[in-house]
Amino acid sequence: MEADTQAHVAFFLTGRRPSEHLDAVDGLDLRPALFAGYRDLTQLRYDFPLVLVAPASDRLFVQSLSGLVDAALATAARGGDAERMRKHALRLEQEVRVLVAGGAGGSLSALWDKAAARLARGTEKAGGDKSLADSLRRTRAAIKIDGELADCDAALPARLLQHAWSAVQKHKTVDFRKDLDRLVLSLSNILRADFERSAAGRSAEQLKQSVGTGFDAAFDFEAMSRLLARALPKDAFPESRRKRIRGLLDVLGAQQFFPSAAASAKKGAAAKHYCFLFDSCADALRAFRERMPRLIEVAKAIAIAELEIDGQYSETKHDALFEQFGANGLDPQDLAAFPDYLVCVNAEKMLAEEHAQLMEILSSGLPIKVLLQIDDILEDSGKAEGGLSSGMRSRQIANMAIGLNEVYVLQSSSSNLFGFRERMLRGLGYRGPALFSVFSGASAKDSGLPPYLMSAAAMESRAFPAYTYDPSAGANWAARFQLEANSQVDLDWPIQGFTYENEEHQRVSEDLAFTLVDFVASDRRYARHLARVPREKWNGSMIPVDESLTRERKGLPDKVPSLLMVDADNVLQRVIVDERLIREARRCREMWHSLQELGGVHNSHAEKLLAREKRAWEERMHQEAEAHAAAAPVAAAATVTAGAASGAAVEEEPERSPDEAYIETPRCSTCNECTTINAKMFAYDNNKQAYIADINAGTYAQLVEAAESCQVSIIHPGKPRNPKEAGLDELLKRAEPFL
Amino acid sequence: MNMMSDLNSATACLLQMTDEHFELEDYQSGVPRWCTGCGDNAILAAVQRLCRDEALRPEKTVFVSGIGCSSRFPHYMKTYGFHGIHGRALPVAEGVKMARPDLTVFVNTGDGDCTSIGAAHWIHAIRYNMNLTVFLHDNQIYGLTKKQASPTSPIGTRSNTTPRGSYLEALNPLTVTLGVQNVSFVAQAADWIPEVLFDIVKAAYHHRGLSFVRIIQRCPEWLPKALDPWMHDPSKVQLLTHANGLQSSAGLARVYKNQLEHDPLNIDRAREIASSTDIIPVGILYNNPNVPCYEDLRRSDKLRTADLTRAGLNAELDKYTVWPQGAEQRAA
Repeated sequence: MEADTQAHVAFFLTGRRPSEHLDAVDGLDLRPALFAGYRDLTQLRYDFPLVLVAPASDRLFVQSLSGLVDAALATAARGGDAERMRKHALRLEQEVRVLVAGGAGGSLSALWDKAAARLARGTEKAGGDKSLADSLRRTRAAIKIDGELADCDAALPARLLQHAWSAVQKHKTVDFRKDLDRLVLSLSNILRADFERSAAGRSAEQLKQSVGTGFDAAFDFEAMSRLLARALPKDAFPESRRKRIRGLLDVLGAQQFFPSAAASAKKGAAAKHYCFLFDSCADALRAFRERMPRLIEVAKAIAIAELEIDGQYSETKHDALFEQFGANGLDPQDLAAFPDYLVCVNAEKMLAEEHAQLMEILSSGLPIKVLLQIDDILEDSGKAEGGLSSGMRSRQIANMAIGLNEVYVLQSSSSNLFGFRERMLRGLGYRGPALFSVFSGASAKDSGLPPYLMSAAAMESRAFPAYTYDPSAGANWAARFQLEANSQVDLDWPIQGFTYENEEHQRVSEDLAFTLVDFVASDRRYARHLARVPREKWNGSMIPVDESLTRERKGLPDKVPSLLMVDADNVLQRVIVDERLIREARRCREMWHSLQELGGVHNSHAEKLLAREKRAWEERMHQEAEAHAAAAPVAAAATVTAGAASGAAVEEEPERSPDEAYIETPRCSTCNECTTINAKMFAYDNNKQAYIADINAGTYAQLVEAAESCQVSIIHPGKPRNPKEAGLDELLKRAEPFL
Repeated sequence: MNMMSDLNSATACLLQMTDEHFELEDYQSGVPRWCTGCGDNAILAAVQRLCRDEALRPEKTVFVSGIGCSSRFPHYMKTYGFHGIHGRALPVAEGVKMARPDLTVFVNTGDGDCTSIGAAHWIHAIRYNMNLTVFLHDNQIYGLTKKQASPTSPIGTRSNTTPRGSYLEALNPLTVTLGVQNVSFVAQAADWIPEVLFDIVKAAYHHRGLSFVRIIQRCPEWLPKALDPWMHDPSKVQLLTHANGLQSSAGLARVYKNQLEHDPLNIDRAREIASSTDIIPVGILYNNPNVPCYEDLRRSDKLRTADLTRAGLNAELDKYTVWPQGAEQRAA
């Protein structure tokens, strides 16, 4: 026993494993105990796969498959076969999940059909199932949207963000086009009016054309032209204005920021428009700078065109102004009308220069949105440094970006992206730069865990907390910074219930904290920092990691931190951890604490203030109490009785009219009397207690009969609904005692 | 912010994803053969509700019964069940519990099954105090065999065996139970007050030790009017309430105004209340969680594997084996 503990402590301090006391964990295929239930994700219902809704709108661009099925069932599955439909639809949902997990891609409708065919094949052997086809057809009909399915994998962050981005850009294109068309039309109208008023516009030939062929014999166009020529305005349209308007039309027609109407009509033959999607910060920045003069030109043309249309453009006043337009750059409001740039980069492939470019984008306030995808936050940086990894460091970019104060920052692991869908849209709609730092969990190849589980674990273990910083949400941190998406925000580590069966087949439940160490332990590269303790050597010196983190160590430790893990057969194993991982967990906890403070959880300033105020309040109360002690305590008694009276007030049930038929459902004793009389009229609820399911499904006679036979007399037949029912007089008399 | 509601949905956070969700249908099996209007239906509904609300896994739940109307109960539960021998539901259940302490064991027994032929087992089961939940379906008559007086039939009950009316005072299962050493949980429910019935069933399930619940039950077929005085006059039903017992809801308080605050730890007062038959008490009479359970005192620590069971069975069977002539010599 003593020797065991010593071996444990030695391992904790040095990471060296004496073979007779401890086992290596390599090849044991261990995973954190809390993951025991998540071996096969296809058997579980969760947000993934997602449906990338097409055509996407900027309100609805993504849906979860489970959400869609639930919504469809809520509308379609009503009535007697609701339960059957629900079961069939859920089976299909699972089948789709299996297909997607197996790598099948495609649209929801394609995969739905494929999964339905597979289910149908499954039932064929059992003689076919018509009800299955019926359920699936009706559920499918209730799902009104379609789109590509996306599972939680390495491609997801870029796919989802690009999808959202296209939805936002499409919206912008429509707005811009509407504006542009209005301007072009109005400007053309001005030119047209000018032509109509000119001598050429009033020539006989022109006049004849404007009347058309039907009545050309009825007019003398020569005479008309002569008459009109006399009324020609004296002040002719200034040539400079005509030129300016033509120039504006040219600029607006040649803009390349949005696809032109002609281009969208004729595919391929498009007058080329710019692409705004990049995979390198440097390229995006370069493109932005190159296009800046063209952008200023278009923005300027739009501004002048607005003035021109209102007839307010005055050369003396505006020429000089517009001469210098955009020399100091454009303000965000002007820029906002133009497309945003989207850059998708992968943290692992970024070189130092690219990092510099990224920081430049973020600090410059340009409307460039950057997706920083991180596949591996546990990459080992080597023994010497002691720090965890470059991946852990790249997560710090998001923290730095918050410090820039005007960057929209969203950090999340991909498992949580669906929950953050609205915040993604808000980030894409933000007028300045935005950084989306996403951990994809795709490094999972090193752990055998699916990416979804890996990314969820990163978030759960505080290794990659999810938060958003939205500078447009308000002026202070409380409005801008949101940390609530993480589970159990106010704790150091989230606590989850864990239930297992012990050797005596007893169900044992305990609460486990999910710490950074649990997350790291699922990665095989860290196996050397762990050692399995054989069951017979378990002893009291092993304490959970979270408990060990709260201990102050002086001298040699007497307790060693340990984890509960499960092996491939779901057998519980206890694993001890060396000091290096504990050190990392401590660092991770400190970082989490500082995020908590930013998010207003355990804020030290607030707590200090609160303590001060509380002290002051207590002192005041104390003084007041002393002052009151002298006065007579008569008033106190009165308030006590008033309080008791209000507490005794009972909630009231809805007032029922005696004409209405109803059952006092909570008092029903499930005796089957009424349901035997008419199973359509009377039905059982979730607690197997009767209610009137359909008053029109039976006669008043049946209602009265049910009231009479009800063992506990809780059926109230009310007044008859059909005045022509036979024998009503007698029935009414019989119903009287039950009204 | 509607995002928060998304995050709280069942599928949002991975580690809150465990879905041990059961419906009432998961526990229903077959259509009960009981008469329409029978109080057994109310008990069945309450127990199925309990299973669903507590998410009891069907494969870890057993219902053991004896013989009688009530004892058809296991047939209608989609769990393990044992429809056993007349009067012997309790010993069978004790055996199950001893061998498989991980199972949740319920016992359904009738007034004849428990208080007549099974009376000895009843007394000793209470004394053993194993962790079982026992429902005594007391309809005060033998129903399955078409109306014979049972020990709990009120004096004067006319039946096929007592055509001039029964001669003896009815046995009171509550006072008997409360008189046995080691009693740990006694409650009384009435099938026509489903809310209280369910609350008692739930409290009984949560009690560790033998929970004895007598459920006064109507028999619409053979004693249709017997309980009318109590059903039609709620003041003749006394609800027992206490901070450690049942709490009466507003709706219940409106109908059942006759309420009594009773501390379930006070056994003397419980015996007094239990003796009342004109006004019937409904609620938890006695609940003492500190009485030791027999299985905790006596169960062997040996792991009961399939091999061990087989070896044990074989050893028992060998005692009765008739060896062929000469086999012993040959073996020797």
